[in-house]
Amino acid sequence: MSILFDSTSTVKTELSKQKYIASDEIATIVYLSQKLGKPLLAEGPAGVGKTELAKAIASATGRELIRLQCYEGLDESKALYEWEYSKQLLYTQLLRDKLNDTLGKAESLAEAADKLAKEEDVFFSSRFLLQRPLLKAILSDKPTVLLIDEIDRADAEFEAFLLEILSDFQVSVPELGTLTAKHKPFVILTSNNTRELSEALKRRCLYLFIDYPNLQEELAVVRLKVPDLNPKLAQQAVEFVQKLRKADMRKSPSISETLDWANALVALNASNLDKDVLEDTLSVLLKHEADLQKAKRQLMAPPPQPKPRNNDEFGRFSGN
Amino acid sequence: MESRILQLIAALRASGVRVSLAESAEAFSAVDLMGIQDREHFRLSLRATLIKDVKDLPTFEKLFPLFFGSGQPPMMGGNPMDDLTPEEIQMLVEALKQYAEQLRQRMERLMNGDQLSRAELEALGQLVGLNQADNLNYQNWMAQRMMRALAFPEVQKAMKELMEQLAQMGMSRERVEQIRQMIQQNMQGMQEQMEQFAGERIAENLSEKPRGENIDNLMNRPFHALSDEDKKLLQREVKKLAAMLRTRIALRQKRAKNGQMDPKATIRASLKYHGVPMEIKHKDRVHKPKIVVICDVSTSMRFCSELMLSFLFALQGQVRKTHAFAFIDHLESISEDFGGADADEAIQSVLWRMPSGHYNTDLGWALNDFNNEFMDTLNSGTTLIIVGDGRNNYNDPRVDIFSNMSRRATRTIWLNPEPPIMWNGDSDMAKYAPLCSNVFKVGNLRELANAVDELMTG
Repeated sequence: MSILFDSTSTVKTELSKQKYIASDEIATIVYLSQKLGKPLLAEGPAGVGKTELAKAIASATGRELIRLQCYEGLDESKALYEWEYSKQLLYTQLLRDKLNDTLGKAESLAEAADKLAKEEDVFFSSRFLLQRPLLKAILSDKPTVLLIDEIDRADAEFEAFLLEILSDFQVSVPELGTLTAKHKPFVILTSNNTRELSEALKRRCLYLFIDYPNLQEELAVVRLKVPDLNPKLAQQAVEFVQKLRKADMRKSPSISETLDWANALVALNASNLDKDVLEDTLSVLLKHEADLQKAKRQLMAPPPQPKPRNNDEFGRFSGN
Repeated sequence: MESRILQLIAALRASGVRVSLAESAEAFSAVDLMGIQDREHFRLSLRATLIKDVKDLPTFEKLFPLFFGSGQPPMMGGNPMDDLTPEEIQMLVEALKQYAEQLRQRMERLMNGDQLSRAELEALGQLVGLNQADNLNYQNWMAQRMMRALAFPEVQKAMKELMEQLAQMGMSRERVEQIRQMIQQNMQGMQEQMEQFAGERIAENLSEKPRGENIDNLMNRPFHALSDEDKKLLQREVKKLAAMLRTRIALRQKRAKNGQMDPKATIRASLKYHGVPMEIKHKDRVHKPKIVVICDVSTSMRFCSELMLSFLFALQGQVRKTHAFAFIDHLESISEDFGGADADEAIQSVLWRMPSGHYNTDLGWALNDFNNEFMDTLNSGTTLIIVGDGRNNYNDPRVDIFSNMSRRATRTIWLNPEPPIMWNGDSDMAKYAPLCSNVFKVGNLRELANAVDELMTG
């Protein structure tokens, strides 16, 4: 239970059982992060499988995946814990008789207050603590995988707040003291690199940059995830996507979009990537109108004729 | 091995990658764990622990092979002497004899496929001043100088003549071509060897180079007297400043909690008091600070616009609701350029899009543009920051629009590289200044820091 993977090759095989194809780089760094007990910071363009990696690790190790989606304005009470006032109130109501029993025997007000103070712990126990993802991951009886998704969306303050958890795997709740993790969760943070993260946070993590895959890797992913697509078409489709990524698009198609597209091709029972099929399905791949137009113009145009010389060149030559 | 890793870390630092002590310790434990047998694993364990930023990855990939090279690059051509017939060798020897001694030696080496020894490389390096080089950009240049020192061009020429001679002596065309190719490949090998050596040496120099100049000195240096490297250093400081400014603005707005009553929160809070609403909760006023920045990137401001833009960039990274504009003779929104995470790229794209040219600065017109298109970005809660010298080339200053803008914004701050005593000639600063909440003279980073400090206390 405590050792997940015992070598980089196990990481690879176990992840591929979960239908996640890990490159050597990913496998090595995942292995390292598990061995060193350090959080893993995965960065890269949207849709290259950062979140998927966390899911695959969770299911490969049989651990529960606890996910914290970050957004602007996320704060402690939503990420860590909150006192459940209504439940506390309900308990005081229901336990009123018992309280009377305990306090009734007191002779003076001061004594009653003392007695009440002794019982105070009852009302500020973890029973009334509403666990949010971070606390859940720390207090869990079983080891877990904690995914802190899109950390770059959260405010800089929230990053600072994460530091204690990431380095010592403990949190401080003023009423209860410091809660330390029973099992160190395997922490994965993802970022789309929309803003630079703080040095302090980066220092505590191992860094993994996941880029768009090359042709072979992407083809392997498509073949694995969409087995129904015929191999020739899959090859064509992936080549097409790779070509799109090289073109200057507002948003390059991600792997997940390639997969959506592959599924669309299967659903349409396409046998070849011809013009009609492309026109019908291109919107699965490209989500900006401008990109769509551009792709249609560039990639569906007949092979370029040798370019006529432009005026510039004429000018240059005649000048000599 | 350990000292080699430390050297790599030092070289990384010298090339501007931030590696903390904790990270270098981490690198060692990762290497302990993964071992050093597998070069790829070794590389990845160093990379994952030392490099935490995409833009530092190329630096690492460049330095790593220089410190942990794959050994000597092989001599590709092999030994052409081996498969020549005795007659052919005789011919070759004859031909070689006719060359001057020095060239003959060089040629012979190439024929035998000998590599350069370490000592020879050292000597060559000494000759071309490799020991003073501490910038990786010089790697190829240094290698070329070493080649020239070895009289490579002459050898090349000699080889051509030699081949012609061999052909005249009756060796078949194909054989001559074969020999030529082998020698060529050996030369290639030697060249690679020299490049590798030059790279290694430069990287070592880099790792021994003392850490950069004291940041304090840089802070006081005027913007126009900064080198590119200084600017990089300062950008880090600038980022800190932006963070400070942001915290301050956020604080100001958090304190001002006089928004509407929040019934939900009030009821929740009342649960603590048995349902009696003892604490009235208010909806927070906009927590998120908003900033509108207008930056002059004209010729007169060019020397500092890069740093100012990097300040804007950092500010935009910190405060989501930042609208950034730049102008020379008309206004352009540059927020889009600042979308990525790389400051240099963003700044270059702005400066490239708005090249300084013959046209004149016209703040009045820029303000007019702002009035027509972007006035709605200013509302209560917005801080308006203007960066510029207020030199308007005798155009209409449009003070009316400016006063309207400063009325709409909560606060108007002007950062001007010139002191008040220089507000004459075509400067309209004196007209704008009374409308601003604060005007700061910002001629170097120290003054920028002071301005931010003052903004925070004021």
